[in-house]
Amino acid sequence: MIDAHAVVLSPIEALFLNLSLLCIVAWPMWIAGKSLRPGNDLAMLALLALFATSGRILLDPLPNIQPVTVVVLLVGIHYGASRSVAFASVVAISSNLVLGHGIWTLYQALAWSLVGITGSLLSGMFLNGTAISIRRVGAVAFVAGFAFDWVVSISALHSIPLESFPVYLMVGLPFDLVHATGNLVFAAWLSGPLSEIMTRNSPQSRAVVEPVKTVS
Amino acid sequence: MSDIIKPASIILLVIVVASLPFLQDSVNDEAAKFVSDSESSHDGLPTEWEDRQVICIFFPESNPHPEFSTGVTMIDPDGETIGVNDALNSTGACVGGFEGYEHGMDFMMDATRVAGGLLSVGYTMDPNWGPFVHTIGGLNVNEVQGDFNGAYWSLSHNGEYSMVGIGDLTMSQGDVISWDIATW
Repeated sequence: MIDAHAVVLSPIEALFLNLSLLCIVAWPMWIAGKSLRPGNDLAMLALLALFATSGRILLDPLPNIQPVTVVVLLVGIHYGASRSVAFASVVAISSNLVLGHGIWTLYQALAWSLVGITGSLLSGMFLNGTAISIRRVGAVAFVAGFAFDWVVSISALHSIPLESFPVYLMVGLPFDLVHATGNLVFAAWLSGPLSEIMTRNSPQSRAVVEPVKTVS
Repeated sequence: MSDIIKPASIILLVIVVASLPFLQDSVNDEAAKFVSDSESSHDGLPTEWEDRQVICIFFPESNPHPEFSTGVTMIDPDGETIGVNDALNSTGACVGGFEGYEHGMDFMMDATRVAGGLLSVGYTMDPNWGPFVHTIGGLNVNEVQGDFNGAYWSLSHNGEYSMVGIGDLTMSQGDVISWDIATW
């Protein structure tokens, strides 16, 4: 009569459980991503979407700390605007299946899409050949934390009057700051390795790699 | 150079998360200054509650409270019913005439207790977002069904949608807070 599902975890224990799960999810994805045949950009996008979605869900115990904003920015930089918009929307919808779906999903998809589009427009600024500037990604990701939250806050105008909006934004500032700082951490740790495997699995590298293979 | 960013960003994040409660308190106090002390928030309430703190609970037409199903019942701090106002175009109860409360949650728990269980509050504690009220006076938000995705207890502060949750609400003299069911 032992019911393992009835174990009640404290918030800290739940957080450690989720962090362990995230490592278990991310590690094989990292191996899979590295061992993809070069130029496999669509498989790479799918892996990244799974990583971003599970990362957002599992880090939910932490206030406003999740990897999606940085990953969307990197997808914009490497894979362009249209793919980053699709990516952003899929991650917003699939993570909200667990976290709760509502009118805000639309604004989250919109805001992350804007982050991806920004990445694609400024991709020349981030990339020097194939090397990525971690500091520039960090700086833009930091600003994107605030910008994302403010765009999503527009959804509050469905329930509060416009004149209350500045106060609503002000009350959210501490959480915006946490999002921005979290982005800085993800940019520092993820943008190097993710950028490396995304470069190898970009549409451009397929164009270069495949003719070489047919010649040999 | 870029390797400094990795440990430095984590240290910064820990500092920001650790100071989050302090930052929240600061902006919430700041936000409380923007809540207008509009006289109209006392409209329809007993005149002796002027300059006193009041909490009102309004129930939806679909799920009326078994005791407070007609008009709005006015209850004083001793639990005595002062009267019923039928002109407020909604049903429920107000408990008022309090002084000196600063924390919204303390006030809500003390004031609703006066009604002797008729307005008891059920809430869950979220480690990040504070108390989340799901039940007032026996009405759980999950019981409110209709042509919408979901319902929640919505908090107003002096007649305006509250920018902060009940756990973060700073009260001043003469403040009126009210709860009613909103949907999304």
